[in-house]
Order: sequence, then C-alpha cells, then structure tokens
Amino acid sequence: MRFAILKKIPVLLIAGVAATACSTTPPAPPAKPAAAAPAPQVVEKPVTPAAAANMANNCFACHGPNGVSPGSIPSLHALTAQNIAEMLKAFKNGQRPSTVMGRHAKGYTNTEIEAISSHIASLNKK
Amino acid sequence: MSKITRRDFIKLTGAGAATLALGYATSARATNGPRVVVVGGGFGGATCAKYLKRADQNIQVTLVEPNTKFVTCPFSNYVIGGMRKIESITQSYDVLRTKHGVNVVHDTVTAIDAAGKKVTLKSGKTLPYDRLVVSPGIDFKWTAIAGYSEQAASVMPHAWKAGAQTTLLHQKLAAMKDGGLVVMVAPPNPFRCPPGPYERASIIAHYLKTNKPKSKIIILDPKDDFSKKGLFMAGWEKLYPGMIEWVPGAKGGEVVSVNTKTMVVEGKLDKYKAAVVNVIPPQTAGTIALNSGLADDKGWCPVDPKTFESKLHPGIHVIGDAAIAGALPKSGFAANSEAKITASAIVAMFRGESVADASYVNTCYSLLAPNYGISVAGVYRVTDKGIVQIEGGVSPKDATDGFREDEAKYATGWYASITADIWG
Repeated sequence: MRFAILKKIPVLLIAGVAATACSTTPPAPPAKPAAAAPAPQVVEKPVTPAAAANMANNCFACHGPNGVSPGSIPSLHALTAQNIAEMLKAFKNGQRPSTVMGRHAKGYTNTEIEAISSHIASLNKK
Repeated sequence: MSKITRRDFIKLTGAGAATLALGYATSARATNGPRVVVVGGGFGGATCAKYLKRADQNIQVTLVEPNTKFVTCPFSNYVIGGMRKIESITQSYDVLRTKHGVNVVHDTVTAIDAAGKKVTLKSGKTLPYDRLVVSPGIDFKWTAIAGYSEQAASVMPHAWKAGAQTTLLHQKLAAMKDGGLVVMVAPPNPFRCPPGPYERASIIAHYLKTNKPKSKIIILDPKDDFSKKGLFMAGWEKLYPGMIEWVPGAKGGEVVSVNTKTMVVEGKLDKYKAAVVNVIPPQTAGTIALNSGLADDKGWCPVDPKTFESKLHPGIHVIGDAAIAGALPKSGFAANSEAKITASAIVAMFRGESVADASYVNTCYSLLAPNYGISVAGVYRVTDKGIVQIEGGVSPKDATDGFREDEAKYATGWYASITADIWG
C-alpha cells in the first residue's frame, strides 16, 4: 500500500509527513528506547524528487543496481521505505553498529533520509 | 539528424519520457532523441552512458572505448599479489549494449570539435553530439623521472592502468628470488587512487611473506603524508613487521632517476639496487582532454561542481580522474558518483528543467591482507567553495580483528556491486 501512495504523491510531500510524524509520535516502536525521545530537529530543507534520486543513486555503488546486491553487501530492494529510513537513522545516531554506514548516514538530514528511502523503495515495483 | 534543432530535442525527449511512463516505448522512437557521445568506457564513462539510458531511453548514447574488454584498476593489486586472476577483474560491454541500448563503439577519439559539436575517431568516422561526456582517466608525465619512459615500463612496470602491465608486475614478482628488494616509486599529488600505492605495498608484502619471506619493499615517496597513513602503518607493523620501509619526501623519498639496465633507483639521498621496480609516474588528465583544450596549465580539467560541465568548453562534461572535483578523490567510486550526477544534469538540461542538487559519495576500501580491510568514506556536497566533504572519515584505529575482516568482506562485495552497477 505504501508503494502505491509513494508512486502518486511527490516524494517531497511524503518526506515532510514522515519527518513530522517521526518527531512527534514514532509510527513503530523503535529497537532501542533512546530513539523514542525526540531531539529538537534542525530546520531541514525540503528535498525534491530529483535531488532524492541523485542521493539514492550513490547507494547502488555498494548495494548493487537498484539496491540488488550481487555480493556480500546487503541488498536494499526488498526493504520498505520505513525499514530503510529506520536503519539509516539508527546508523546515523550510532544505535546500530556498522563499518561504514555510520560514516555515510551522518551526511544526511532526517528529511533527506526519508526522501532517499522512499526513492529506493519506489524502485522495487518498476 | 543534423536538421533537428535544440528545441526539437527537448520536445522529443519530453515526449519520450511521457511514453516511457505509459510503458509502451518502442525502439523506433529511440532514434529521435538528443545525442550524447561518451568518451571512455571506464568507471566514469560507462556509468554515465548507462545512467543516461536508465533515465531516458530516448537519448541516443554512443560510448567510444578502444578496448573491447575493460580491466579495472580497482582489485588489480590483488592480481599483482597473486590473489586473483585477471579474468575476474575484466568487464564486458555486452550488457550495456544489449540490455541498456548503449551504442558501444570500439574506437579511439582523436579530436574533439567543441564549436562544431562533433568528435573524430581514429577510423576516420565523425560522431555529432548535442552533449559530450569526456571520461579519459589519466595519462603519465613520461619525462618527469630521468630514465623512465613508455619503453622503460616494460622493465619497470607502472601497472597504474590495468591490463598487460598488471600481469607484467605480477610476473616480475613471481620470477624474483627470495631476498630480493622491491622498490616502489610513489607519485606526487594529485594522482589516481590515493590509497592505491600503499595497498599495493601491503598486498606485495602479503605475497612475499607467503612465498619469499626474506624479501623487502621500499616505497620512495615525494610526499610526507598519504591516504589512511595511520591505518596502513599500524597494519604493516602488525602483519609485516620490518618488511615495508616508507621513505617520505622529507627523508629523500623523491626519485631523481631510474636505470632499467642496472635496476638502480636514485633517490635524493640514496641509491637502491632493486630486483623489481614499480614506478608510478606523475600524472595528468588523459591525453584527449589535454589535446582538446579541456585541461588547465597543470593538466587537469576545471568543471562546474554541480554538472561537471567544462569551465573551458560549454557543452562538454569532464568526469572521473581527469576532472578537478574539489574534495572528491580520483577514485573509481567518485567517478561513478560524478557520472550519475552528470547524467541527471544532462537529462534535466535536455528537458529544459532545472538541475537538481548534487550529492556525491566516495568509499575506498583497501586490503592489507585477504582478511584485513580498511576504508575511507565520505559524503560530499556543493557549496560556494566547490565540492566539499561534509561527513565521513577512516576506519577506527583500534578496530577489532572482526571489524577488519568485515571490511575485507565488504571490499569484495563492493567490487561485485559497483561493477554490476556500471557494466551489468
């Protein structure tokens, strides 16, 4: 269902809604309690769909074409936008240990993470 | 073709995009779109060709690359060290041709006519374009080190363009007697693959430790620092104690001359008699970029950080190692990232849309041994200072053996993924 909505509404809107929802009431219980305490967010610039695609395309160098990995790095194509966003945020705040993903995820605002995640998930059905 | 105006191209591309969205694009329509010629089928050029078609099948993309197979520089150090066969780092253009609709032409671009918007090929053919992407990689300053030359490279391989040179360096190491001295000559900045020479020293050390344990490696370096230096040095101490000596510029590391007959390498302070010499010469942008007026007086190509369009010749984009890309390193990963942003910008320009914000990424893994990997990773954005790194860094200094093992595993996964992203 989420995919159907994502395909019709610009990523910008979804990202905005998701970010707002996240800062007040998290949609799903997070893995660790610290994530439930929302930190004041910096003002985050909206992300256009084309800019989200530009950011997401960089992921495929390690995670394979459209997120389908042929090797030892995990694939992304079977994940929902919410899965991806939650993981990226957990990498970003250090809750989820990683080799390189923590270093990458810190380079994106939460709005950008939502937009990247929505874009990658939207590719699944194409 | 030549009668179609720019305005028509935009219309046609727009129509193509609409058709694709409805799902009944035909190959017949694909002959009407704007023309992009991509020069060079490496990490930058092949990515750009594929991502242009991925964004809009209607764009006519011609990729000009002399080699029918492409041997990657990434992972070529493992061929030198005997860990891999060269076939495993050799990529084919078949999928770009058959699945993605890229017109792959195996030829060499001999001239670029920026005003006339066409390129001339060695075969004598000319290819007109609406936008040109030049991804020529690097070439060497052959005369920078006395005694070194293209001919000398058959005795003292550079192996800094992968292929026959890679195999040659492996053969030289395989033929060396135990106890021999391997001298590596590292290049000055800027150069292709900043951690590459030091990964190479590590992998050669791994080969020697396993096969010829009395041998030694000396790296003569004009620089006093290098990528991931702390991690490399700590790894060498742990894995290959006493085997690798690094001589920085401050201690006479700059090489004055080499002699292929006596196998003597002369540094600023000392001379070294070597069994095997690997000279990685100083570099410039690929020759076609220099000959086409795309490079500055230092031999590299200034570009717009958001589109990689040349600052010297509008309508031509220069990507990959040849470009001056701010804080981005000259790596295959960066070339792949630049190529995607460039493809996205070109599509927007054809459609008369504004170019979306650029965002670049780089990750360079280096192996110090088959199960010991380290990395440098970064996220890059465009500011008024050009392309700057906003986040990232190197692997932790005190990582566990398991962490190093994971990074070695991910290095191999990265190679599988990026080559699929480009040639698959």
